[in-house]
Amino acid sequence: MTDLSKIRNFSIIAHIDHGKSTLADRLLEECNAIDRRIHAEQLLDSMELEKERGITIKATAATLTYTADDGETYALNLIDTPGHVDFTYEVSRSLAACEGAVLVVDASQGVEAQTLANTYLAIDAGLEVLPVINKIDLPSARPAEVKAEVEDIVGIPAEDAPEISAKNGINIHAVLEMIVKDVPAPTGDREAPLQALIFDSQYDSYRGVIVYTRIKAGTIRPGQDIRMMATGAVYKVVEVGTMSPNGLIPREALGAGEVGYITASIKTVADTQVGDTITTAENPAPEPLPGYRKVQPMVYSGIYPADGAKYQDLRDALEKLQLNDASMSYELESSIALGFGFRCGFLGLLHMEIIQERLEREYNLDLITTAPNVVYRVTKTNGETMLVYTPLDYPDPMEIQLAEEPFAKVSLIAPQEYVGSMMELAQQRRGEFKDMVYLDANRVELHYEMPLNEIIYDFFDALKSRTRGYGSLDYEVIGYRPSKLVKLDILLNGDIVDALSFILFADNAYPRARKICEKLKDNIPRAQFEIPVQAAIGGKIIARETIKALRKDVLAKCYGGDITRKKKLLEKQKEGKKRMRTFGTVSVPSEAFMAVLKLDED
Amino acid sequence: MPIITRRPNKTPLGLYVHVPFCRSKCQYCDFYSLACKEDKLMDGYLDAVCAHIKESGALAPNYKVDTIYFGGGTPSFFGADGLAQILATIRRNFDVDNNAEISIECNPDSVSDKLLRRLLAEGFNRVSLGIQSDDDEVLKKLGRPHTYAQAVSAYQRIRKAGFKNVSVDLMYGLPEQTIGDWQETLDNVLRLLPEHISCYGLKIEEGTPFFAYKEMLNLPSDDVQADMYLTAVEMLRSRGYRQYEISNFARKNLYSRHNLKYWEGGEYLGFGPSASSDFAGKRFTLCRDLQAYISGIRDGGEVMEDVQEIPLRERAGEYLMLRLRTARGIAADEYERLFLLPFEPLAEVLAKHRALGYTGINEEGRWYLTPKGFLISNTILSELLLAQDESVPMRKL
Repeated sequence: MTDLSKIRNFSIIAHIDHGKSTLADRLLEECNAIDRRIHAEQLLDSMELEKERGITIKATAATLTYTADDGETYALNLIDTPGHVDFTYEVSRSLAACEGAVLVVDASQGVEAQTLANTYLAIDAGLEVLPVINKIDLPSARPAEVKAEVEDIVGIPAEDAPEISAKNGINIHAVLEMIVKDVPAPTGDREAPLQALIFDSQYDSYRGVIVYTRIKAGTIRPGQDIRMMATGAVYKVVEVGTMSPNGLIPREALGAGEVGYITASIKTVADTQVGDTITTAENPAPEPLPGYRKVQPMVYSGIYPADGAKYQDLRDALEKLQLNDASMSYELESSIALGFGFRCGFLGLLHMEIIQERLEREYNLDLITTAPNVVYRVTKTNGETMLVYTPLDYPDPMEIQLAEEPFAKVSLIAPQEYVGSMMELAQQRRGEFKDMVYLDANRVELHYEMPLNEIIYDFFDALKSRTRGYGSLDYEVIGYRPSKLVKLDILLNGDIVDALSFILFADNAYPRARKICEKLKDNIPRAQFEIPVQAAIGGKIIARETIKALRKDVLAKCYGGDITRKKKLLEKQKEGKKRMRTFGTVSVPSEAFMAVLKLDED
Repeated sequence: MPIITRRPNKTPLGLYVHVPFCRSKCQYCDFYSLACKEDKLMDGYLDAVCAHIKESGALAPNYKVDTIYFGGGTPSFFGADGLAQILATIRRNFDVDNNAEISIECNPDSVSDKLLRRLLAEGFNRVSLGIQSDDDEVLKKLGRPHTYAQAVSAYQRIRKAGFKNVSVDLMYGLPEQTIGDWQETLDNVLRLLPEHISCYGLKIEEGTPFFAYKEMLNLPSDDVQADMYLTAVEMLRSRGYRQYEISNFARKNLYSRHNLKYWEGGEYLGFGPSASSDFAGKRFTLCRDLQAYISGIRDGGEVMEDVQEIPLRERAGEYLMLRLRTARGIAADEYERLFLLPFEPLAEVLAKHRALGYTGINEEGRWYLTPKGFLISNTILSELLLAQDESVPMRKL
């Protein structure tokens, strides 16, 4: 075990794109922790999707061995954190495993909403926050101003913040020295009852779940019987060790202050929830570490196989994905239109898109995803209160005494010239203005309370486009409030397609209904007859479009050379037909469902 | 003593010769052809195609050639000597029926009286003339190197030369074309009294010049194109032309016997770059590059691409896709006998469409597509193919 005084536990926090992952890579390189032969861009982000999207989805960690200018060798535990609003709780647990945080601020962009949000999380967790000014090689860099901003807005000293370029490897050494010097060494009694904080876990098909943990007190060894204090699950430790970018390194024991992994033949990550405390069965800690919270999905959507026969494949895929992602939930759902599928819960829309993409890519499934919704609360006239996870369960208007929807506290930051357009956007989305703070001469933070439903769709994209990319968003759910809600039904050729129904704020129903009808008209192929597309609330039609009858779908010419080509064309058309769902007499391709999700793009 | 000839028990075969040369490339054309008149290339082509015919003839001793089709490109642009030499080579190396249909595609800009007389003398008996439109502005837009007056003159000279079986190609769905324009084109062309008319809807193919600026072409909408098609079908029917395929119409039963082979599952062998064959159970295409074709034939290299042995199950799909292009259509007993697949699932689909006027069934029990059905044949076919995919082979008839 490493002496406490030679350990530094830190994470890197930043706004998206400010260079967090690149800095992490440089630190690893500088400490020779990376085998150059396997060097790939952004090593800590190992999921393919993460690389593509340039964001960290799952937290990871690595131990760097660093010989400092003082001649001593230190174990620097870098705990990477996810970088998106959907994952705020995960970030808070990763931070709880550290004593310090390196705050990366882009030298030209300056402080942004997430910078602040994550910094406050770090300060709340009692961390020493050490600013670093990145991308100083950019022509638009303004390090002095950004330092002043950090001091003014974030309220932490930034005078000595290293000015670096992670991309070009400038001044990385200064960051490492700062970590050794300014991040407090961990404390903790290695003889005390075990308290180990789970900050992440990952399913491995050979070892079972690999639990990433920070030992707060006591010592953990292979062979010990351990208990997860929140879930109550009991296991025998198989292996403990530390992480390096090149793999796992087994150790004899992990003691207080150290960061490492544990394997114990654990079958599912549901047993190793982020934030839970591991203790020993023999000498349990009197109480768990603070801050644990069961993760609640915020957004629900129906996921169905495009080909109804693939239902079992989808179930298997969801089961496997959940081994690795306890924050996703799924439950059997059946729709008249789509047959069997699952109502899945996600932390946010990004999380939903990621799961959907992984299902399609890694499990080779074609999916139909229905419009996402938040969880509504309905009090019925008979006094019963129910949570509505799917429009399919929304009660008849006659039975509803009170309908409520979740609200969130929202913080928006952008340069002041965009205040007007941000306010306009927030108002359109039913935002209730709370206050406005000037962060500096130029930048403004707006606080709103608004329905979560309005945030989850495309609020972030709309904000970005209205602020030319400068706007940033953070939100936190604060509870339910009464609301005027209606369920909108879509009818194709006179029949309700239940999978297209959704719940929305009554005042938005008309414009939305019109848009949906238009979108469906564009996305449903013409049939041999006219198809009316209608939107209705409780039987009353409020919008209508007509898909004209198909008149021409023919290959005029077909001689010797065209036969193979024509065959391929028909084959494609035939396959397309397979991927369509037939509702009554109307065939709807899965893309039509997607198009309805992306209503506000144009 | 009476001469007793043994009735030849040979399989009919069609031959296709692709002549890949044109005066200029039309803006919509995606056939393989070169806009040039280089003697060296043309000679190289002639040698290669003749050598190819020679080596192929030996492979088909049990076939009787009953149709020959010279297409392109612009065969008439290649010149009479070359064409005569190719046809003579065919006659020397294949068993060509005395009544064989021997067609040649001609363009109005390359038919001299001399050429026509020579072709007739060599045995060509059917000419297909590319007229396309009666509007000189449109012809210019299409990149056709001739006017309508030239086309009419060419037609008259073809007649004067003595051809009794003449076909003309027309196109609809052209830039800025109206239904009225199209009716006028048909009226004008019908006055020429051709035996055969092909009407093709303009299709913008990827890789053609038109594809690059298709948005600017101001093409009639699909609905208007559908009306143009139905207009043509009706006008031609009332003037005595029988529609025997989606885009083909003929008087006096003078159908294109060669083209019918494509739709009725006959065998055919192709020569020249990009030509296709369906021969002895295999379908293949020759390389789409003149130089590669020439050197391949010369050096004994590979000129065939995309050789496919078509399994019976796939042939069953082709049967639907190709036969339903023809007015004769498909029959349950024929289908079940050929492919050992049940016709019932297909009949269901066909009956559903019959109720809407897209299909019909004649007194012989053959199913066919109506003109309205032809227009959406891809939709109907993909439904039929799906039904076929799901059908279980029959144990016995």
